[in-house]
Amino acid sequence: MALQDLPIQFGQISTVQSCGAVSYQDSILPSLSLPTSLPLASSQSVPLPFPMSHGTTTLAFMFQGGVLAAADTRSSCTSADCALWKRILARELRLYQLRHGRRLSTSGAAKLLSHMLHPFKGTELCVAATLCGFSGPSLYYVCSDGTRLQGTLFSVGSGSPYAYSILDQGVQWGLTVDEATSIAREAVYRATHRDAYSGNCVDIYHISSKGWTRRSREDLKEEYYREKERQERDGM
Amino acid sequence: MALEDICGFKDTPVHRKLKKSGRNSGIPLQFFIPTLPNSVPFNPRPSLPFSPSNHSVTVSRPFPLSHGTTTLGFIFQGGVIAAADSRASAGGLVACPAVHKITPIHSHLVVTSSGSGADCMLWERILAREIRLYQLRHRRCLSICGTAKLLSFMLHPFKGTDVCVALTLCGWDKEVGPKLIYVCSDGARLNGDIFSVGSGSPYAYGVLDRELRWSLSKEEAISLAREAVFRATHRDAYSGNKVDIFHITAQGWSQRKREDLKEEYYRDMERRIMFT
Repeated sequence: MALQDLPIQFGQISTVQSCGAVSYQDSILPSLSLPTSLPLASSQSVPLPFPMSHGTTTLAFMFQGGVLAAADTRSSCTSADCALWKRILARELRLYQLRHGRRLSTSGAAKLLSHMLHPFKGTELCVAATLCGFSGPSLYYVCSDGTRLQGTLFSVGSGSPYAYSILDQGVQWGLTVDEATSIAREAVYRATHRDAYSGNCVDIYHISSKGWTRRSREDLKEEYYREKERQERDGM
Repeated sequence: MALEDICGFKDTPVHRKLKKSGRNSGIPLQFFIPTLPNSVPFNPRPSLPFSPSNHSVTVSRPFPLSHGTTTLGFIFQGGVIAAADSRASAGGLVACPAVHKITPIHSHLVVTSSGSGADCMLWERILAREIRLYQLRHRRCLSICGTAKLLSFMLHPFKGTDVCVALTLCGWDKEVGPKLIYVCSDGARLNGDIFSVGSGSPYAYGVLDRELRWSLSKEEAISLAREAVFRATHRDAYSGNKVDIFHITAQGWSQRKREDLKEEYYRDMERRIMFT
């Protein structure tokens, strides 16, 4: 099982190191044990050359067909933090599987990630992850300030308020997969429309008992033009 | 006006002969500029016992101000809809659950307010007074665009201070038709078809962007406004309680009865249970 095969998504809120600090990242990559051996991020904060507000829109919700997750694809400055933690988590989960002969449950993975992030609490690291799994459908939100929540609907990122209202309107347990996909796509589209930091395309993943499937990436520009045509027809 | 007499403010004529067009018939535009505590006033007032002298003292507030609200306005074929919640918050406290955030200025103009509650109340009164004075002096109603410009100029001296008002003027002009203009104390003055202001505004925008069309009927537009405010109050902690909806047409503004969003929430829950 390759590292990329795990159904995990990360929504990045903001991050600390600037694009150029790659070597510092390497020094964090630790030996194969628990987070206590990780060197702590340095306490004096390096003044950043430019303001680092990142944005994205990711969302995930549970319904009768499993879990649906969606995200936009506009990557602002550094995805370094996100990529790093994704690799760390993937590696730890694979190690668990090799040592114990079974996969860790989603709630276990959430707890593991939360404990790994704990030494960085109070530093400028900021990572928010929504773990969607199917050991029974489950959805967890883990954040670097220590939050770990189970729920049925989450949206993370600067575009999340715009997505939340669409999801609150439309998400119910009894949706079909197609209906759920179209609500998720609409929610990400509305968020990218209003939020400057989200945009480009939308990725949609569906997690069920058979595993995860990724639907084809759709460019939201097409959606925007389709909607403009529809509005012109309505006489707006 | 009574307020003017009590406070001893003097109406200072600004820019004499600013606009001497035929319409104004030679009367210079005058409007109210309250003096800032640290600036030299135009007309030195008779010194009141508590008039602030040239010391700059920042008063620390006993409680945190917060600007939580959800207000929105949009234009459609049937006129303009303005809607707002009714919660006033101060930090984590709900200071008042039944505030009126939409205020009529005259028969064809309402203004939705967000920002600091005290500032908004004051500036709404000032605006109403200035519009009435203009009407008495020039025998015609000032256009909505003109009102927005006037308000923007009146707020300009306070740019950079703690004054925080963000008003959306929703009205109907005789010449132009429906108009929606956003004015804020930072100096922004924007014309548009749809505005939502406040901490709950992103949530409202999601709903409005999805379903707003020009061709909505009046009932559909009202229920869209109500739904947008409901979704915002559901997610935003600083918005809530009730929703006020105003509808402005060529005949003037009309207000719907206030609705408690608690009822809407229970209806929504029931609908979900039916569909699961």
